This record gives sequence, C-alpha cells and structure tokens, in this order.
Amino acid sequence: MQQVFSIPKCMKKDFRYTFCPGCDHGVAVRLVAELIDEMNLQEKAICSTCVGCSVFLYNFLDIDCVEAPHGRACASATGVKRAQPDKFVFTYQGDGDFASIGLAESMHAALRGEKFSAICINNTTYGMTGGQMGPTSLMGQKTTTSPNGRNADYYGYPIKIAEHIAQCDGTAYSARVALDTIPHINQAKKALQKAFEVQQQGLGFGFVEILSSCPTNWKMSPEEAHQRVREEMIPVFPLGVFKDVTAEGGNK
Amino acid sequence: MEKNFIIAGFGGQGVLLAGTILANSFMLSGKNVTWYPCYGAEMRGGTVNCEIVVSDTEVSSVHKQDTDYALVLNQQSFDKFVQRVKSGGTIVANSTLVAKTEPRADIKYVFAPMGDLANELGTSKVTNMVALGVLASVVDVVDTEYLALGFEKVMGEKKKDLLQLNKKALEVWGNTI
Amino acid sequence: MNNKEKVLIKGNYAIAQAAVNAGLQCYFGYPITPQTEIGEYLSGVMPDLGRAYVCAESELAAINMVLGAVSTGVRAMTTSSSCAVALMQEALSYACGDELPVVLVNVMRAGPGLGYIYPAQGDYNQSVYGGGNGDYKIIVLAPSTVQECIDYTYRAFYLAQKYRNPVILLADGLLGQMMEPACFGENPYPEVDVSSWALTGAKNRDGRAIYSVGPDEKKQIQHIYNLFEKFEVIKKNETSFEEFETEDADIILTAFGSMTRNIKASMKVLRKKGIKVGCFRPITLSPFPHDRISELANKGKDFIVVEMNMGQMYKDIKYAVEGKTKVDLINRPCGEWLSVEEIVSSVEKIVTERGLAYATSV
Repeated sequence: MQQVFSIPKCMKKDFRYTFCPGCDHGVAVRLVAELIDEMNLQEKAICSTCVGCSVFLYNFLDIDCVEAPHGRACASATGVKRAQPDKFVFTYQGDGDFASIGLAESMHAALRGEKFSAICINNTTYGMTGGQMGPTSLMGQKTTTSPNGRNADYYGYPIKIAEHIAQCDGTAYSARVALDTIPHINQAKKALQKAFEVQQQGLGFGFVEILSSCPTNWKMSPEEAHQRVREEMIPVFPLGVFKDVTAEGGNK
Repeated sequence: MEKNFIIAGFGGQGVLLAGTILANSFMLSGKNVTWYPCYGAEMRGGTVNCEIVVSDTEVSSVHKQDTDYALVLNQQSFDKFVQRVKSGGTIVANSTLVAKTEPRADIKYVFAPMGDLANELGTSKVTNMVALGVLASVVDVVDTEYLALGFEKVMGEKKKDLLQLNKKALEVWGNTI
Repeated sequence: MNNKEKVLIKGNYAIAQAAVNAGLQCYFGYPITPQTEIGEYLSGVMPDLGRAYVCAESELAAINMVLGAVSTGVRAMTTSSSCAVALMQEALSYACGDELPVVLVNVMRAGPGLGYIYPAQGDYNQSVYGGGNGDYKIIVLAPSTVQECIDYTYRAFYLAQKYRNPVILLADGLLGQMMEPACFGENPYPEVDVSSWALTGAKNRDGRAIYSVGPDEKKQIQHIYNLFEKFEVIKKNETSFEEFETEDADIILTAFGSMTRNIKASMKVLRKKGIKVGCFRPITLSPFPHDRISELANKGKDFIVVEMNMGQMYKDIKYAVEGKTKVDLINRPCGEWLSVEEIVSSVEKIVTERGLAYATSV
C-alpha cells in the first residue's frame, strides 16, 4: 500500500496542536513544515516566534526557535540572520504582532532588506486574548472591543499589510494568500516557497500574509468561517503577489 | 601636585584639539591626566571648553568648580572663566580678541596676541598651538617638547607635514618675549 | 591599535574598542547623547572586520536584535542611555527568562523622562532592580575610570556567556565623555563554550527552543527557582568591590562609578583634618556586596553614601547595614559632579551635627 499522507519530518513526533478546532493556523504551520522538508531546511532553520496564538510554535516544529517579545519577531530575526547569515531564518506572527505592536520592526526589516522570511497570519482579530479588535478588523466587524461594529469615525481603518510591505524597497517578495479552499492552499504554499527562495537567493525580505479563519472568536463553524474569508475578507484584502523581484520585467 | 586647566574659545578655534594635545603631552611625560569636554547645550552659542587635570598621583576629580589656569581665546570665554580662576591662579588670554582688563586683583593675567602671531605664521588655524606655547611659557608643568610629541601623537602619520609649522607656532611666543 | 601602549581615549571609544577586542560580532544601536560615539565608532570598524552593524529603528528594536543574535551563540551588544534604556526593560526581562547573554551599555544621563544630557547616576534602580516584569536579576558592573571601561567590557561579555545572564555596564556621561590614558591589553577571559544551547540549526540533534514561558505551572515555578539559584552562584563567584583604608576608619565613604574618584580624594583631605575616613566602592552593583558591608557595620563603622541621584544606592547600603550603624547621604540629582570640597564640607557638617568623637588624631 502506498502512503500518500504523513506528518512532515520536521514536525515533532509527539506534537499536539493547541489551536482551536477549525483554525487555519494548523494548515499554515503544516505548509511551512512541508516546505522545510521539501527545501531541506530543517538543519539550518531558526525561527523567531511571536506572542499570540502561534506562541507555542516551538512545540510543533522540531527546529531551533527563539522567543521574541510581542511585536519584536522581525527585530529578533534581524539579530539571528545578521549573526548567522548562512542559516534559514523566518518569523511566524499574527497580524497583531506583525502589523500593530510590531509594525515599526516589521516595516524597517523590510526597508533594510533583511534577508529572512516573515509570515503573518491575518484573522482580523486578537485571537489569543479572546477576539478583540485588531489592526486588520474589518469595517463593521463586531469584536469584544468594538461591540457595535468597527466604524471609521470611532475606530479608523484596517491595514493592508502585504501592499504596504510591497512598497518597501528592501522587499523582494510580498504576497497575500488564503486557506479557505484547496486551490488557495496550493497557492499559499507556492507563495511561501517563493518567500523562502528569495531569502535563499539573498534577494531581500520575503513576506506572505495569510488570510485565516478564527471560528472560535468569530463564533462560526469552520465552514462558515471560511465563507467569511471568501465573502468578507478577500474583497477587502485581495489575494495576489504585490511584489516579486524575480518575476519577469522586474518588480512584479 | 595636581593642577587643572580650562581651555575655552569659539567653536573652530581648535579648543578641544588643544586640550587633547595638552592632555597627551602630560600622558607622554608620565603623569596622570584627564580631559573632559563641555558637551550638548553647554556648547550652544558657539563657545566650547574642556578641562584638563594633571596629577602626580591619581586625578582627584575630573570636573572641578575652579581652576588653576584658564586659557581663553575669545572675550566671551574670558568673561566667563575669569570668575572661575582660583585665587592666585592665572588666566592666559588671546589679546587679539580679548580686551586687556583685570577685573580681579587676586589672580595673574597674561595677554598675548595669539591670533596675530598665528596670522604672521601664515594661518589663523595654528592659534591654538600658539596658545599652548604661551601656556608653556607661564606654567612649569607644561613643556613645549612634550606638546610637540603630543601633537604628533594626536595628528598621526597623515598630518606629518604640518608638524614643522605647528612646532613653530608653539615656539613663537617664547621667541617673542 | 597597539594593545600594550597607553592611549589617551574617551570612555565611549574605549568601551567600543574593548567590545571589538572581546569578539563583538553584532552591534545594534540607536543614537542618544551622551553615548552616541560608541555607535559611530563601531559603524566605522565593524564592516571592515566583516561583522554586523545595524542602525536599528528604535532602542526597542536594537535590544531585541541583540536577543536574536546572542541566541545563536555570538557576542552582541547594544548601547544606550537612561530614558532609552527604559524602553528596553521588557527585553531585559525576557533575556533573563530566556537566559540569553545580552550585553547592554548604559551611559547615564539625567532623568526622569527625557531629562537632559547632564551626567547623572539615576539609573542605579533601573539597572539593579530593573523595570521589567517578573522576578529576575541582572549582573551590573560599574566602571569608575576609562581603564575600567575597557576591563569591565571584557568582563561583561565573559560573565554574560558564562552564566547565560544579561550584563549591564553602567557608566555615566562623565565617564563616556572624558579622556584618560588607558591600555587595552589582551582580553583576559577564556572563550565560553556555548555549543550546548546556542541556536545554530537542528543538525544531528533535536530542535532547540529558547523561551521563558510555560503553560506548565510546575515547570515555570522550577525555572524561576533555577534562575535564582544561578544568581546565588553568581553572587558567590563574582561579587566584587574595592576598599581603601577601611581598617582604622570611623566613617566609610561609599560611592559607585566615576564618583569613586571623588570620595577617594575626599578621604585624603578628611584624614589630614583628623577624621578617620575610609572608602568602599562596589564594582558589581548586582550582585551587591551586602555581606562585606554588613561585616564593616558589625565593626561599628558608619557609612556616608555619595551619589548623583536622590539616594538609590543609599537604600541598599542601609539594607546591608541593618541599623547596626549610621548611614548618611550626600547627593545631588544630576549635573555637576559633587566636588571634593563639597564632599569634605558635607562630611564635616555631618560629623559636627552628630557631635561624634571622630576627630581624635591629627
């Protein structure tokens, strides 16, 4: 009998996800793990982890990990990469970590063209603390800190992260992907691979924003949550590649 | 023996450099020495100063309330530091820019036209070295030979061609009087 | 630079070059007076040596870059001053919890808030007790001369890696800005083997994780006990101080950092006046030499603490003396260093006020 599916080699043998049922984090981590295996990166990978739902990443992946304070993953990863230029360095962060408390660190890492890869899970809320309004919460979205829905007057607007990172001259690759359908998951893996490759090639900062569901805090079933990604998130946060210095004709 | 010096003037008159050369001359003659600059807001308004303490033993404190010697290159610095000279101390002033007044009776005054002497040597840039030469003529512990060595140490190989001119500047006051 | 030759050098440059000699692989910094020369100097030196220099976007980023770099086993540091060091407190707490050998140089200026660039010693509490969360301890070294800026920079890198604990080199604006003859010599400390914990990729071993947090309560409790046991070892091995003429002294003047010079000079003047004064100067502000101060108090010696703050080390001396003898404070919050004349007259005033029979022999 042929085995067609298994746990990636670089995942810990006894790992148990601490993500909520139906959460897309599990899929995202798996894609990262598959690529680490496929690109033969396990022995040279160092991850700068963040604070938020993915804080326990080091319990899932059998690679070297260092804990960064909330928002500082890109600063910590800068330190790691500058100290160990030959290693494969990446961050795995939420939108609160990457684009709210850590926006300065994230943007400046991109502006400096730091040669590591950054992954940002955008689920339009602070998941770990129970669903507060975050930098990516959609207009009208009800959260525990915007109980009447986000309105511009009172709360301002969500940030379009991948577009902003694409504007930085040091960025080699910036894309937004989603995990709501199989084709989208396949696209997401390709984007992650590209973000890893530009690091390997020393071209600059590689970035992927992943639109993810958060059924628990959205108070939806996993299926409804994916529907929300499709119907509410993607129209605001369009999928695509916003910068790719390796693409034909230069920047795009 | 412990003596302190304040060197003060306009920014651009080479005050900090003169202090550095003086401090190096003390180090090269085997003494303990510290150099401490004014910095930040103290430097606003265009005047700079530094304080050098030389001692046979460990320097007691780096920044003192009063001074044994003040070497001042402009009027503003004269007005400020004439008040800080210890009773019995000496103020050495650049009379090219400082009016010859003696506001206190309990200190000594030495006026020398440092700017003019420098110009006679061809450039006002050596005013600071002329000033150190004047200081050497007044203070035993300051020695022109060590000042020349101090100059070499500070300026290094790159500025070796300037050594002769600066040596001349050090000696010009001694040759005048 | 010839390492054996005496050179007249600024404290800031001395720290920078000593760090290079100690094997600094990465420097991360953000400018702030009065320590900016350290970063300026290293920006010229590090690229030529093939080492990393990053102009960080903030002190927050700088210290976290250090966290990342040192986690891979290399030597890295950042340098800053008072109000900007305040920004780094979170990361220092992490570095203690993560057991990361961070080296931070703080060239103190005046606070609170932005304050100003006058020299001051108001960061004793910030350094020794920290502003970060949780129970943690940092090693704090306080140089008093430019030579010690060099010596303690070497020591800071060694201790940080030896104990996997952050080290703060606590200097002040006076020390950073002044020049004094000093000699670099050779870094006297051996290399530290970091291979058992450094993150270098999971090659022929399992992945390693460096973290402070644990959802496992028992593990978290044990982790903190372990950190404090480690600091007991540090206390036993590394506590250092200097004493001058304490043997026959009635009063011991105490200071840290560059004020040490002034109390030593004051001691000489006071002794000539017939007041038997000694000097005590902690070199490690953390671990603090409580035991020795307690011993001296047991011998009946009174203490006068001289510092450029509102009495921060004063509290630690009082704590160590435990009410056995008297402890007084001579201080100014910032700015012009207390002069020898001021210290001498303040000590005389204290002696007179107390009517103590100190002045016995001339």
